[in-house]
Amino acid sequence: MTINLKTSTVETREQRLGTIIGWDGKASALAEESAYARGECGGCGASGRGGAKARRVCELTGPFTQGSVCSEQMVECQAGNIRDALLIQHSPIGCGAGQVIYNSIYRNGLAMRGHPVQNIRFISTNLRERDMVYGGADKLDAAIRAAFERHAPKAIFIATSCASGIIGDDVESVARHAEADLGIPVIPLHCEGFASKHWSTGFDATQHGILRQIVRKNPTKKQEDLVNVINLWGSDVFTPMLKELDLRVNYVIDMATVEELAQMSEAAATVTFCYTLGTYLAQGLEQEYGVPQIRAPQPYGFAGTDAWLREVARVTGREDKVEAFIEREHARVRPKVEELKKKLAGLKGYIATGSAYSHSLIGVLREIGVQVDGSLVFHHDPVYDSEDRKQDTLDHLIENYGEVEHFTVGNRQQFQFYNLLQRVNPDFIIIRHNGLSPLAARLGIPAIPLGDELHAFGYQGMINLGEAILAVLQHRKFHQDIAGRVKLPYKKSWLAEKDPFALARVAAE
Amino acid sequence: MSKKLKQIAIYGKGGIGKSTTTSNISAALAEAGYKVMQFGADPKADSTNTLRGGEYIPSVLDLLAERRRVDAYEAIFQGFGGIYCVEAGGPQPGVGCAGRGIITAVELLKQQRVFEELDLDYVIYDVLGDVVCGGFAVPVREGIAEHVFTVSSSDFMAVYAANNLFKGIEKFSTAGGALLGGIIANSINTDFQREIIDDFAAHTKTPIVQYVPRSLTVTQAELSGRTTIEAAPKSEQAEVYRALARRIADHTESKVPTPLGPLELREWSAKWADRLVEQERAAA
Ligand code: SF4
Repeated sequence: MTINLKTSTVETREQRLGTIIGWDGKASALAEESAYARGECGGCGASGRGGAKARRVCELTGPFTQGSVCSEQMVECQAGNIRDALLIQHSPIGCGAGQVIYNSIYRNGLAMRGHPVQNIRFISTNLRERDMVYGGADKLDAAIRAAFERHAPKAIFIATSCASGIIGDDVESVARHAEADLGIPVIPLHCEGFASKHWSTGFDATQHGILRQIVRKNPTKKQEDLVNVINLWGSDVFTPMLKELDLRVNYVIDMATVEELAQMSEAAATVTFCYTLGTYLAQGLEQEYGVPQIRAPQPYGFAGTDAWLREVARVTGREDKVEAFIEREHARVRPKVEELKKKLAGLKGYIATGSAYSHSLIGVLREIGVQVDGSLVFHHDPVYDSEDRKQDTLDHLIENYGEVEHFTVGNRQQFQFYNLLQRVNPDFIIIRHNGLSPLAARLGIPAIPLGDELHAFGYQGMINLGEAILAVLQHRKFHQDIAGRVKLPYKKSWLAEKDPFALARVAAE
Repeated sequence: MSKKLKQIAIYGKGGIGKSTTTSNISAALAEAGYKVMQFGADPKADSTNTLRGGEYIPSVLDLLAERRRVDAYEAIFQGFGGIYCVEAGGPQPGVGCAGRGIITAVELLKQQRVFEELDLDYVIYDVLGDVVCGGFAVPVREGIAEHVFTVSSSDFMAVYAANNLFKGIEKFSTAGGALLGGIIANSINTDFQREIIDDFAAHTKTPIVQYVPRSLTVTQAELSGRTTIEAAPKSEQAEVYRALARRIADHTESKVPTPLGPLELREWSAKWADRLVEQERAAA
């Protein structure tokens, strides 16, 4: 089923793709249960005809399943990071608790990309008891107008919240009025925390709003050398790489300008560093504006990067340039990878990140000779919006790099993370989100935090990641000291538990 | 889409005969050859009972409570004349949030493009009376329905609920919301009742679409789990419903209503209360 841009609310991931947040087993079994024409797993019933994309994967649900942020916060870190726009949080003030951390990430990102550093621009309507009873529409209207006067933004986003969603506050008509009066897009993004169990629905909510209200509807010109890159805050690795193919980069959504978002419909193609993040927007651009999305594995490791580059070249008509570039890069990188392999031999790594991203990182680790017996991903999309098997990142992993024995889908529950690590006993872990390294440290395991999501990207990424591992191993002794001196807060019975999902299985009986 | 889908919301106070009226309109439209969906937006989830032989169907929210992902078609059941029956459902009285329930259920059907896929002529929302919160205003305010009708008797509480609905419509009218088609005057058997409802209509500049008398035929049909159209197609009452359905089908221009203010409404009802007392005294 195509995505539906007629309604203002995005369809949640669980509804659209069949996303789950609890599962444990071999990676190949999950790939088997998932989509891409492999059929149903049979256990949880057939997928229906409405929401035809969604596949039913048997989900493990326990008493503690959800353990991280909500969709609203993903709206903050996308819609809130557009340089000349502004985000209004139509919510109680508590939903804005992440503003501080998002500000620091935003400022760092701006600096890293060479943009003028500025503070993030969020305004909370601070919904209170009175507003819950009488409605918060007037307050929202006042906030929009204040925002416009204070900051003269080129667009205003409105993040809804549990509170505004429950009382059914009429965000739509307030936005419509303001848009007509102010002459800039005023875009409601429906991201009530209760509506979806997985935060990535918040990515989709932002992208849905941008597709509906910012992207230029009737592009008069085509920019045949422009590629939309759906990205976060990381360093600029796409520009030098795509330059080799005479392509220019249009980074979206974070740190883009409203105009850069608007011109997405003029581009020659859309790519992303991670299908978990980019699936919705890329599909929307293809469906509505005919901008092709790159249907290939993600660009990590040799096989993935080769295939990805070739597909970018094919779609943009640059086949003549690509082979020479691939050859040069192989020649440059291979010897270094061989070097690294020697140094990294015998090491075991563990990856705890977002879903598609982990699939690729496992491949990178195996390219550089690191053993990976387990991984934790925070959710699993059985299929991405394109429904194209060429984007099946889990399958790409298994086909090119083999089985992952202990593959876990879980939403960052600390108590489970303990058993997960015990089970495979890695030398280090790779993470991107906060809250995971302290527990690992207490077990004597150092963590590599990939704050820059593009560190492991492309050919160079293999070298970068290898070097990061060598660096972090220097801390091993420090971590072992920590482990020797701290106690974990869990009961003995839990410490002895082998099955990270023991509680979920009891609950399921 | 080949044809234009017409979406209509029918509001009325609980117990006023709103579901009965709605189901008969649906049945009459189906009988006239239209493709109709009736969408019950009342936590009691019994709007479509008489279209399905008195049978309850699982509601959208029942299904959502059971599983995380719902295929909208699992909540659609065909009834008399092929009418597609859907119940939004909702929580038990006193718990949860019925308004949110309506938002969720409507959203689900919209997202899955059910209306387009079924190629419907009419979607008729049967919505619980008072517009008490944001959720109950959804069919009106998001322009989901273009025309709103209210079922009201001459009872003051019913009139009060109708007036509240007019307020809601007035509020959202400038924001692309639905407009008012008129009043379906239900259980109007005496001249006095008719005068009351006519007077209210005049004060609020609202047309009366149809007077529907109270009738035993309706009760009998309901008891057998059917609409009057189905159970007593030749009855006078069935003709009344057919006429009503025709009017609704032909209806094109809805308006912004002019509801009475709180004080006006009180004065208006006091005036009629006095007249009622007078009349009773005269009768005695
Ligand atoms: S779950 Fe709801 S209340 Fe909590 S941060 Fe998210 S939107 Fe706000």
